[in-house]
Amino acid sequence: MRIRVIAFNTFKEAIRDRILYLLLFFAATSIILSRVLALLTVGDRVKIIKDVGLASISLFGALMAILVGTGLVYKEIDKKTFFTLMAKPLYRHEFILGKFFGLVLTLFIMLGAMSLIFLLLIFLHTFRVEPRILLAIAFIFVELVLVTAVAILFSSFSTPILSALFALSFYLIGHFSWSFETLLKKMHSGLGRAAGQVFYTLLPDLENFNFKTEVVYGLPIPPAMIGYALLYGALYTLFILTLAVMVFRKRDFL
Amino acid sequence: MSLGPRRDRGISPLFLALLLVVTGAGFMGLKLRLEAISRAQVPGSSIIYIPSGKYLKRVSFGFQSAMADAIYLWAIQYYSDTSIPNRYQNLDHIFGIISELDPSYEDPYLTGALIAVYEARDPDLAFKILDRGMRRNPGKWLFPFEAGHYALLFKKDYALAQKYFERAMNLPGAPPVARRLYANSAFRSQDLDTAWKTWLDVYQTASDERIKKIASNHLYQVKATVDVGRIKDAVGKFKDKFRRLPMNLGQLVKAGFLTGVPKDLDGQDYLYDPGNGDVTPATIPWKR
Repeated sequence: MRIRVIAFNTFKEAIRDRILYLLLFFAATSIILSRVLALLTVGDRVKIIKDVGLASISLFGALMAILVGTGLVYKEIDKKTFFTLMAKPLYRHEFILGKFFGLVLTLFIMLGAMSLIFLLLIFLHTFRVEPRILLAIAFIFVELVLVTAVAILFSSFSTPILSALFALSFYLIGHFSWSFETLLKKMHSGLGRAAGQVFYTLLPDLENFNFKTEVVYGLPIPPAMIGYALLYGALYTLFILTLAVMVFRKRDFL
Repeated sequence: MSLGPRRDRGISPLFLALLLVVTGAGFMGLKLRLEAISRAQVPGSSIIYIPSGKYLKRVSFGFQSAMADAIYLWAIQYYSDTSIPNRYQNLDHIFGIISELDPSYEDPYLTGALIAVYEARDPDLAFKILDRGMRRNPGKWLFPFEAGHYALLFKKDYALAQKYFERAMNLPGAPPVARRLYANSAFRSQDLDTAWKTWLDVYQTASDERIKKIASNHLYQVKATVDVGRIKDAVGKFKDKFRRLPMNLGQLVKAGFLTGVPKDLDGQDYLYDPGNGDVTPATIPWKR
């Protein structure tokens, strides 16, 4: 109940954030511009629209999660509103979870808005609804939930600028961690490789939520992949949130 | 129940630590599990989106060289992966991008050509890559030198090899062996006059006795080839006129088909077989 109140207030606060609308504007522009880009191609124009549209949703969604999420907890402390909450019957983990769910709800709305524009554009070209696109968008949302948790984690102990940098690094590492695996394959077996392997499994692999290629090319997606990817996203998010609660519990504000 | 540090007892630290370990172990295990699932791929999907180097240059924000390094490193890994079918299809495109981003970067031209010749078995593609290197680095002898080797060894196109070695030997810093390879290619492409002049020049300018000996052997070979050709030609004419082979080379002179019996570079007579009209040098050039 208390988490819900915090979440709802966070949502009301985040939805008023101007940066959110600025990013939404750019995302919408980028999605619509994919139509112009499609004019420059020879061959399948819808493919270009799908590629650029899904990439825009993913990229601007991540920017929303990072830029809004990293300021959420910090702002409460900086503006001293957090001290008012301290006097209320509220646990710190409830505060963190409330902030997290509030931002997730905000992102859900924003993702919905971006998806609507994107799906409308696709529909105007193909005159049919492709349910598989929704799967790709759903997994973009799973990725955004994880990025939100990371933004909240960094926001719980660092300044917004540093938190944004850390969260952005997490996002980039998540999409390029495969290159570390390539490096591991080149290493000789031994302690160094074993340590590298452990480190690699710890690194996020956001490509597990990337079904854009499969959707655009109509390739089959193994059902096990969907289930495991969903579970992977849930467990990683829970891990980050647990870490955020632990860090936030240790903080001394007085 | 407040946010104050001392009274915050919402969740026990032990539970949190346990949750951290369980979720951590869970997602690590899942990551390995997910990697075991093979996902459908568009053939060559990792590279079909690479635009031309011209456009990449514009979006590199001044980091063209670093971007070229990154693509080069990636290309080496890509071409080391034997499980990718048709990976040579985009070889020219990929190495073209690198050269567009960093035209002076020598290694990608050489590596690209190496992959084209040894892996893709496509010498013409190697020449294309090396020709690009020559166009963008006209002062570098290594590109025509490499191309000459490929023409010599894989294409057996001696005239082409001669052309490349000629270009290489005239560039600053080219090793002396380029001139010798040029002379050898000229000999193999039957440009005997050029071969003679070049080997003679090598012989006269060589400061090393070993090189002098090599040049001398080649001069012997070139002269022998010219002489044997002339003698065989005369033998043919003799046979046409007298309906038989000459008994010895002197008869060719008497019949007016030769002005004199040629001698090899060491002053020895060529060996003539009256049974079949075959003419051979008295010595094997490199055993002199």
